[in-house]
Amino acid sequence: MAASRRIALAVGLLAALAYPLFIQATGYTYFQTVGFLVFIYAMLGVGWNFIGGWAGQFDFGPCVFFATGAYTAALATVHWGWSPWLGMLAGIVVSMAICALITFPVTRLRGHYFAIATVAMWMIAQPIGATWELINGSRGLFIPFAPAKSTWEAIWTLGWGGRSKALAYYYVALLLFVLTMYLAHRVDRSKLGYYFRAVRDDQEGAEAIGIDSRVYKTAARCLTAAVFAAGGVLYGFWALAVFPDQVLEMNWSVLPMISTVLGGIGRLWGPLLGAVILIPISQVMSATLGSGPLAGRGLDVIVYGIIIMAVAAFRPSGLLSLPWARWFSRG
Amino acid sequence: MASAGALLTVERCTKHFGGLVANRDVSLEIAPGEIVGLIGPNGAGKTTLFNCISGHYHPDEGRIVFDGHDVSRARPDRICHRGVARTWQIVRAFGRMTVLDNVICGALTRTNRLGRARTKALAMLEFTGLRGKDDELAAGLTLADKKRLEITRALATEPRLLLLDEAMSGLTPTETAAAVDLVRRVHADMQLAICVVEHVMEVVMPLSHRVVVLDHGEKIADGPPDAVVRDPQVIAAYLGEHGGARA
Repeated sequence: MAASRRIALAVGLLAALAYPLFIQATGYTYFQTVGFLVFIYAMLGVGWNFIGGWAGQFDFGPCVFFATGAYTAALATVHWGWSPWLGMLAGIVVSMAICALITFPVTRLRGHYFAIATVAMWMIAQPIGATWELINGSRGLFIPFAPAKSTWEAIWTLGWGGRSKALAYYYVALLLFVLTMYLAHRVDRSKLGYYFRAVRDDQEGAEAIGIDSRVYKTAARCLTAAVFAAGGVLYGFWALAVFPDQVLEMNWSVLPMISTVLGGIGRLWGPLLGAVILIPISQVMSATLGSGPLAGRGLDVIVYGIIIMAVAAFRPSGLLSLPWARWFSRG
Repeated sequence: MASAGALLTVERCTKHFGGLVANRDVSLEIAPGEIVGLIGPNGAGKTTLFNCISGHYHPDEGRIVFDGHDVSRARPDRICHRGVARTWQIVRAFGRMTVLDNVICGALTRTNRLGRARTKALAMLEFTGLRGKDDELAAGLTLADKKRLEITRALATEPRLLLLDEAMSGLTPTETAAAVDLVRRVHADMQLAICVVEHVMEVVMPLSHRVVVLDHGEKIADGPPDAVVRDPQVIAAYLGEHGGARA
């Protein structure tokens, strides 16, 4: 079991590494960018799983930390010329601190009320993002781009341009995804992971065996915030700009959630499966609809909505919870 | 007021919900290693008193002292760390976790090391007779096994006082006998103080060293089981005619 799991992991990783190389040779970069987005959303989904899957508290506002991370790193680059990697560390620290500060007071809430509080946080963040002069209000921050002179410099500044950009960003997203998975795997098998699930299954029962539910809800959301911050930094440097309408867009909260729920909530591999299915839909649809009469009408969002309803109605625990092993052993 | 030897002292505890007085001026003591039965008709305030002791409620008046510390306003998780564990009338097993993981959560109260918690959890499951169901999801267990799992998880937190809230209600006679046997073994092997809330008189009387009777939120009797059953006030309030005949 352990050996077959390891082989599957190695094959999967090799496939992910090799996937864009062939396409790169043809001169297209489109599918590399799709892959980049898939891994960003998968990574955010794994991050959302900490609070939503393991600790069982629906968080509709993690994009606040996506924005916090992106803004922190962008500010550090614009004002002090920091590398995005240092900016990412700073963004993670700042996001976790803000998350702890604003989440702890609402941890007395649970279920729908906790979810409403997280929506409120997102709503409060929007006017702040749109009007705060330090981050240039609604105009946002532009990240200066200078083509790197060497590969090492490009890696240090994430400064790729031209045809290699999509490929390089694909690999950086893959790297961050792998690191996030490793973090989730470690947390899953630690005291934290056990306590998160205990709070999810029965908060009073958890408290009666010595678990401070407020502390562990806050801890779970801080892990979520850390992952969203890292994702925000990567996205900001890819887009070369950070502005409120972009990073505080509801999709940064909702798409990782839908991916996770579709793949399997509270499961390590659920978010990746969900993202692999969902994210290309919007890309493929915009490509196939072209300039036809249905193009540009948000048809992909309608498809997402239908998928959510179908999952909620038929398999709320997600695709990974289906009895795959039984089907395959019979096949 | 707290006498020197007591593990738990409840001093004039009063708790009301709006106009309803659930506990009025209830005082009681539990000594280390003692088994105390807490009985009374439905709505007498037994579970409220339990919730006050375990920190899920805080008394409006009065004081609760455990092991020399005033825990009247302490949170449940702090009280558990001090050495009080409880089970629930309506079971609160972690349904989507396995039996073993449930007990590991309890054992993690005393250690941060997962390996150590696992070893201890396995030993506890062996002791309570749930070994062999380790990998089953708690939600799929029978009621008797869920109640047993709750006791196992509570014991894994290494309590000095175990509060059992109707651990035998809803069980078949065979299951009840097995549960009584478990409580006796827990007491004999672990030297805990145990407080049992129970409806079934045949269970409480032979099990308890001392019985405390609540009625309408007030304590009306406190003494050895055979004295309590003969107390006219208790007979009137709780046992009634048929109960008196049974005792």
